[in-house]
Amino acid sequence: MQASRARLFKEYKEVQREKAADPDIQLICDDSNIFKWTALIKGPSETPYEGGVFQLAFAIPEQYPLLPPQVRFLTKIFHPNVHFKTGEICLDILKNAWSPAWTLQSVCRAIIALMAHPEPDSPLNCDSGNLLRSGDLRGYRSMARMYTKLAAMPKKG
Amino acid sequence: MHNSPAEDGVEEECCSLNSNPSAAVDSVLGQSALRLGLGVGSSQTPGPDEYDWSSFRDDDILHQQSNILEEEAEKMLCVGEKEPLSALAAEYQSGSPILLEKIKMLSEHYSGIRRTRGDGNCFFRSFMFSYLEHILETQDKAEVYRIKSDIEECKKTLQNLGYADFTFEDYFDTFIELLDGVIQGGEGSISAKELLQKCQDRSYSDSMVMFFRFVTSGEIRRRAEFFEPFILGFTNGIGTVDQFCKTSVEPMGEESDHIHITALSDTLGVAVRIVYLDRSSCDGGVLNVNHHDFVASQDAPEGGNPSRPFVTLLYRPGHYDILYGKLPPSLSLSLSLYIYIYISSESLMALWRRG
Repeated sequence: MQASRARLFKEYKEVQREKAADPDIQLICDDSNIFKWTALIKGPSETPYEGGVFQLAFAIPEQYPLLPPQVRFLTKIFHPNVHFKTGEICLDILKNAWSPAWTLQSVCRAIIALMAHPEPDSPLNCDSGNLLRSGDLRGYRSMARMYTKLAAMPKKG
Repeated sequence: MHNSPAEDGVEEECCSLNSNPSAAVDSVLGQSALRLGLGVGSSQTPGPDEYDWSSFRDDDILHQQSNILEEEAEKMLCVGEKEPLSALAAEYQSGSPILLEKIKMLSEHYSGIRRTRGDGNCFFRSFMFSYLEHILETQDKAEVYRIKSDIEECKKTLQNLGYADFTFEDYFDTFIELLDGVIQGGEGSISAKELLQKCQDRSYSDSMVMFFRFVTSGEIRRRAEFFEPFILGFTNGIGTVDQFCKTSVEPMGEESDHIHITALSDTLGVAVRIVYLDRSSCDGGVLNVNHHDFVASQDAPEGGNPSRPFVTLLYRPGHYDILYGKLPPSLSLSLSLYIYIYISSESLMALWRRG
């Protein structure tokens, strides 16, 4: 508990210092609980998520960083490796390939990379995975684009 | 599987899976979630058709899996007590005669073993305890001085590779603290018993395993060109050095192999002897207990005599334990005499300072 708190505090300081370094990621720690964080990440360019801002919720276990944070999308997203209803993310570093070398910031970067490079063979969203697996890139892109517009972009007017 | 009542309980639930699948899954999950202090989707048990599968998350499966691993791991201490070699022989009493014969041969040179938990971290834990115990027994300050400067180098390597300091510094501090602690006469000095206790303490022990994992990963990456062909061989040609470090070195619970041992031994300059206990036998029918020495590369100048390894581990396919060599009686006497003289000189010094 003590170790995780100390580590998170270091990450907090790092995030404050490096704010400008990565404009695609904005990490915010809960005011009253250092074990709860939110992140706003920008959809990577040249993907159907471009122009969207996606919110992630981090719940950090007491054994962090020996155990990974639990991360899920709060913003609706159509992506093969994100559960459409719960926002859960299928990413090895959040499961068995986790190590303390990862940070909240680098996890966000990994999630952005996953958005740009979906892995349809281990889908949490089968509809999305099937579109990609059957080669229907156009179908996947238009669905993903539609949900980006509906859920991840500020409403105009 | 049928020995302990706890396991029988699980077995029963598995059987009831046939009659009411969702209820059984829910109750198994509920159990694991309770132990972890986490809530699972719904608290009441729904009927087979109304179970809300959308709340059945990947995380739940992961937790259940890690729980099972945890339960298995808890059956053995991180680092056990020292046992005579006969305890090893007893394990194979009704087993392979080749193994029994080999254990008999082992007993000519080795006196005992110390088991470590089989959770994928056994190599690092065995190395850690064996090394620290050696320092505690020999009070070899020159060696501590030497390894500390190597550890500083490792730190620089990680920094150069782009690791943020805060990701590894706590683990480095934990190990250095213990390294200082086993040298007697200081403020934070610890006894052999305390060393064992610290290495058995889960979070302390895991922190040190992470230290070794960082050091190993740093060395593999630093000498990527050297390690790459071995990694390609190990991963059937599909892995990169970076991937290998990320998925097979840095995460807790990933087992160690030749590559890890070479890297760790090289970077810390500590020679390691691995004694193989398996059922292999020579063609001529003559049994031989093989061993492999990892001679720290920095330690062995060309043509020079590498120092004899003092970290000796017993390898049985899939697991490492610590092996204790037999000290020749004269050496063991001089060693204890040395410690005696050392301790008394320390206390004399203390008296002198006070006086």
